[in-house]
Amino acid sequence: MLLKRVMLGVLGCSFGLMTAGGVFTVLLAVGLIPRFAGKTHTGNRVMLYETMVILGTLTGDILSVFEPYTHLGTLMVGAGVPESLWRIAGEAILLCYGVFSGIFIGSLAMAIAEMLDSIPIFARRIGFRHGLGVAVLAMALGKMAGSLYYFYERMYLFGG
Amino acid sequence: MENKVIYIKPNRNAEVGAPDVFLKDIASVTSTDEHLTAKAKALKVYQFREGQEKRAVISNLKLIELLQGLEKGVTVENVGELDTLIKLVKVPEKKGLLVWCKVVFVALISFFGTAFTIMAFHNDVGIHDVFGRLYEQVMGVSSNGFTTLEVTYSLGLAIGITIFFNHIGGRRITADPTPIEVEMRVYEKDVDDTLIETAEREGKTIDAS
Repeated sequence: MLLKRVMLGVLGCSFGLMTAGGVFTVLLAVGLIPRFAGKTHTGNRVMLYETMVILGTLTGDILSVFEPYTHLGTLMVGAGVPESLWRIAGEAILLCYGVFSGIFIGSLAMAIAEMLDSIPIFARRIGFRHGLGVAVLAMALGKMAGSLYYFYERMYLFGG
Repeated sequence: MENKVIYIKPNRNAEVGAPDVFLKDIASVTSTDEHLTAKAKALKVYQFREGQEKRAVISNLKLIELLQGLEKGVTVENVGELDTLIKLVKVPEKKGLLVWCKVVFVALISFFGTAFTIMAFHNDVGIHDVFGRLYEQVMGVSSNGFTTLEVTYSLGLAIGITIFFNHIGGRRITADPTPIEVEMRVYEKDVDDTLIETAEREGKTIDAS
């Protein structure tokens, strides 16, 4: 029994190490956080951003891997936090989560498209000279409309 | 008369605080003659005008031309970059509330963004299913979702990203720069290259006449 446990431990640890390597190489190759830091002229704070990346990953990991045991609402109400108060706090947390992860994923999607050169190649092929701003705005609105439609129609129910 | 040589090493990217740009602001200078070095360093190479773009690209051929105008028969050797991007920045950069807001904003994006990414990844690969089956295969009993596997996986993930990013909090593990610091420099370099090439294409580079 102990031996089996040790084996599971070794497996789990190496899975974790490799996932960390894989997931972060992709994030890094896209170079999203340097861009944010560059745009806001806060390049000297890169260490803080990296720490937040580490903390964010661990939070996400704990919330998703230990999913049945980390139902924050049930835990908080169980610990004596009034339910009405937690309603507001929970809503605030969800709002933060939604807005900021949305910004991140939106940028990630565009950054990947840019990294694969799909936009520059397309623009060149059709002889695009002006109106790139309009195209980008259209893309943003398209993404938003698509996302809203997806959730409104509950398409995730029949996704594969 | 002996031949005098000036060596200049222009930077790729120079930030200046005042509208008058001197050679010493954008390049390291040395020469065979001390007097000449001083004169060269104080050579005015560019002036930003009011209401003009706060950015200029100067071809270093222009620098050579200007330097040769200093004294007759002087040779200029360039050991640095071929073009220099000059940016006019306000010197007392205020560490105001706005900067803090930006830092918090980016920090929050980094936090929630990566939290979402890893959750979505776990959802994609169906981690409960994978771990549940593996646990059953090894242990022979069904998993309750909170086992050695989940705990060590999370531990491994933490160790992995800490090694990857090379620091715990503000403390570096080794003296190397962290990956995002490297990526930051790469990004800045790309931006500089783009600005220089755009200026060239639009004919805005300040070049030798």
